[in-house]
Amino acid sequence: MTDTSNMSAKELLGFYQEELYEEARRAKKEGKLVCWSASVAPSEFCVTMDIAMIYPETHAAGIGARKGALDVLEVADEKGYNVDTCSYARVNMGYMELLKQEALTGKTPEKLEKSPAARIPLPDLVITCNNICNTLLKWYENLAVELNIPLIIIDVPFNHTMPIPQYSKDYIAEQFKNAISQLEEICGKKFDYDKFLKVQEQTQRSVAQWNRIASLSSHKPSPLNGFDLFNYMALIVCARSRDYAEITFKKFADELEENLKNGIYAFKGNEQKRVTWEGIAVWPHLGHTFKGLKNLGNIMTGSAYPGLWNLSYTPGDMSSMAEAYTRIYINTCLDNKVKVLSDIISGGKCDGVIYHQNRSCKLMSFLNVETADILQKGNHLPYVSFDGDQTDPRNFSPAQFDTRIQALDEMMKQNKEGVSNE
Amino acid sequence: MFTMGIDIGSSSSKVVILEDGLNIIAAEVIQIGTGSTGPKRVLDEALSKSGLKLQDMAKIIATGYGRSSVEESHKQISEISCQAKGVFFLVPSAKTIIDIGGQDVKAIKLDSKGCVKQFFMNDKCAAGTGRFLDVMSRVLEVSLNEMAEYDSRATEPATVSSTCTVFAESEVISQLANGVAKENIIAGVHQSVASKACGLAYRCGVEEDIVMCGGVAKDLGVVRAISKELKKPVIVAPNPQTTAALGAAIFAFDEVIGANK
Amino acid sequence: MSRIETIISELSSISNNPKKAMEDYKKETGKGAVGVMPYYAPEEIIHAAGLLPVGIWGGQKSISKARAFLPPFACSIMQSVMEMQLEGVYDNLEAILFPVPCDTLKCLSQKWKGTSPVIVFTHPQNRKLEAANKFLAEEYRLVREKLERILDVKITDEALTKSIDIYNENRKVMREFVDIAAAYPQIIDPIKRHAIIKARSFMEKSKHTAMVKELNSELKSLPVEDFTGKRVVLTGIMAEPNEVLEILKENGFAVVADDLAQESRQFRNDVPLGPDPLYRLAKWWQEFDGCSLATDAKKSRGPMLIDTVKSSKADAVVVCMMKFCDPEEFDYPIYYRQFEEAGIKSLFIEIDLETTSFEQTKTRVQSFSEML
Repeated sequence: MTDTSNMSAKELLGFYQEELYEEARRAKKEGKLVCWSASVAPSEFCVTMDIAMIYPETHAAGIGARKGALDVLEVADEKGYNVDTCSYARVNMGYMELLKQEALTGKTPEKLEKSPAARIPLPDLVITCNNICNTLLKWYENLAVELNIPLIIIDVPFNHTMPIPQYSKDYIAEQFKNAISQLEEICGKKFDYDKFLKVQEQTQRSVAQWNRIASLSSHKPSPLNGFDLFNYMALIVCARSRDYAEITFKKFADELEENLKNGIYAFKGNEQKRVTWEGIAVWPHLGHTFKGLKNLGNIMTGSAYPGLWNLSYTPGDMSSMAEAYTRIYINTCLDNKVKVLSDIISGGKCDGVIYHQNRSCKLMSFLNVETADILQKGNHLPYVSFDGDQTDPRNFSPAQFDTRIQALDEMMKQNKEGVSNE
Repeated sequence: MFTMGIDIGSSSSKVVILEDGLNIIAAEVIQIGTGSTGPKRVLDEALSKSGLKLQDMAKIIATGYGRSSVEESHKQISEISCQAKGVFFLVPSAKTIIDIGGQDVKAIKLDSKGCVKQFFMNDKCAAGTGRFLDVMSRVLEVSLNEMAEYDSRATEPATVSSTCTVFAESEVISQLANGVAKENIIAGVHQSVASKACGLAYRCGVEEDIVMCGGVAKDLGVVRAISKELKKPVIVAPNPQTTAALGAAIFAFDEVIGANK
Repeated sequence: MSRIETIISELSSISNNPKKAMEDYKKETGKGAVGVMPYYAPEEIIHAAGLLPVGIWGGQKSISKARAFLPPFACSIMQSVMEMQLEGVYDNLEAILFPVPCDTLKCLSQKWKGTSPVIVFTHPQNRKLEAANKFLAEEYRLVREKLERILDVKITDEALTKSIDIYNENRKVMREFVDIAAAYPQIIDPIKRHAIIKARSFMEKSKHTAMVKELNSELKSLPVEDFTGKRVVLTGIMAEPNEVLEILKENGFAVVADDLAQESRQFRNDVPLGPDPLYRLAKWWQEFDGCSLATDAKKSRGPMLIDTVKSSKADAVVVCMMKFCDPEEFDYPIYYRQFEEAGIKSLFIEIDLETTSFEQTKTRVQSFSEML
């Protein structure tokens, strides 16, 4: 066992990410089950069953950030996936195709060989949940049929009316039961409810530490840059039902609090303006977007996206767990969505908002106009939107981004100087 | 006996006159397409060069985007079928055709008799088409004819990956501003065109021999990039802009002698 | 004009002018209409309230005002629906029934730009579980309550049961029509076929049933002639505008069956029997398969289409791909591979309600007919 006690949060993050991939590869080698999972699908069931987990969205984001997306996107293009569909899905379908070719021929395709991302094993089952989009239903249908493996669906119906009605929670809780019996059949063993309770409790401890980090961006100046959350997100996705996430997040929160005490802030120099970033990161251009803001003296202290994993519930209570998984802000009506974002903006003491018009994500793009409009009526903060994509580098223009960000910066300056607050 | 094929595209007009289904008497191109004076001018030119009259043609078949507006024609056949016919006539070993024209990219798969088995065309946008190259040539101030030469001098192809032509334009402009050599940018532009076309070709299933035609096939930089992407040799059809017109002329001949189907 | 021609022309004019159909209904019954957004809303509840359910399918038009509210990568049908909302086209409707089976519709349900009240409900997607039926029946109960409140009517179980019967009868007659039409492509060309089916989106269903029933029997009395063209199955959301069907017709294609959300998918299955009408409507969704908007772990669309090709003796499938419709785009690579494996030819054409240029579609269709 590697000694992790002296590792920094950043080292822990790298270590556990690699560890999770290694566990999955080892599981495959030993003939144990591997499951591919949607990023906010309940992890508790599979972890209880000791199934090794792989999260394709995180894997795809990693490929994108390491500039390896184009190669696999082309494989998906060749299979007939339209370039307008979600690039996470396309990266993953392309990657899956390469893995499949390898499994069938025994030869490693060149594109797989040179892919910069961690190698992952093919799944024996997949689990999906549509709390962050219905695309995840279509994508996982395709995985299941292409690999001829079982698909576990957790459907959380769009909450057009808030609060969430009991009959909706009942429907979701019924699906939990069904998922358990599907797993019992797949694994050929009984579900251990005592262990399940422990896994739920672990999940709650991870989520609590995650929330602890996120809350630190309310300090002014802030010890935390929101872009760090984009990086640490990998573990709230992939390891929230394990202690890996809890350990790493606790360490990171401790470090940040220590920094705060010592007057060390995320923005080296003087943080001038604080922005909210609405939407997913532009992974292949993460550096460009981060530096673009930084060079203008801006720090990101608000993002609702990491809050998707604020999955607090009462362990042992299926209805409460159902609610946690369905109340994700993009799965709710516009009123609630605006309320959540409004809290993010004021919590981060932000001066402006950036909306990512994400070619890959219709759900996180098509209400941006209305959201921005309602929010601005309330908080009078300037906003801009730019065209981008989470993992397809072909749908982002650095020049356009720079111009928009600069315009936002100028508006925020005017606002702060009290020239205009309309 | 003479037959004629007329191919009116979006950005050029082509005519081929064929004698006895075998000898190409005239193959003319004018670089403006449907809706312009191009169709009439290219027709006149082909006739005057061959010393023939319209009445000498046993049959005339039109193809291309503007095929329905050619009054002189007796029949229209789609450019997919005509390309297949024309290319197969010139290169009987052809199995996969990549045709890049002004606004379309097509990949066509042939059976051993030269019949179309499957085809795919580009969607929605101009990326990867001749129009895309036009825009890039304007931004780079390098004429289309010189692009291949620039490409051959590239040392390290730049990445031009934007799907959208407007984005690609700004991508290229910022690379110019950053001092990237035009040679390398042009190689990147060619690679981007190749990747689009190859995506369609892969969907058809790539089988040798691979033949390129259409106006863009004259740009050897694109040909090289496609060959590199497919890791297979690519044959450029002789006089690649006129292959569809040639196919139309052959169809016309076949119909006259009743050999069709 | 023969009886057949008269019926077809009447249905065509209704399908081309839903506004007039609404006005006529008002004149006749004194009652208004409720808009029905795609896809698969329980129209029966509106029918049981005595109002006219009117399908909202957008229309062929250029997009300008909607650009302010939707980025270019929203599907073509919703672009045109948004444009028409902004033009006030739907403001005469008493209410809008709004299902949200895809991400685009979830968003659109939150930003209706017209004046009519919107009633949103969610289809469950883990459809094969009994719990899904219960959930949907509950959603429908709320839909009924909201409609009752907005329209100030009472919608009884008895009325609902009767409406379900009327709809099931229409579904049966429509299935018959599709089969009969396939035998008479010289009379029922692709455009007429579409109009006859689309008219049901704007008519009180028993009326539509009566007309189509008569049409069916008139058609059946005619001799079946040889058809020299090609027989195709359409799949996708819809096959509009008419120019697309015109191109199919010009190239000698007959539509012998379809798997379109606007057409056969709506009447492929009957609402099943049972004591509680809302539960029955919910159960329809459970039994429904082969649609990109209804999650299906087995992905049966491809095999279903292959069966349809065989049973309708079709030569090929024409994929009518709604521009920027991601659920449909995700199904395509799978059924395309299955077609290839089954030796079934298919043609991909893009459905764009905004375009006025059909040159590429013409090229594709003509090439395809030359290839078959």
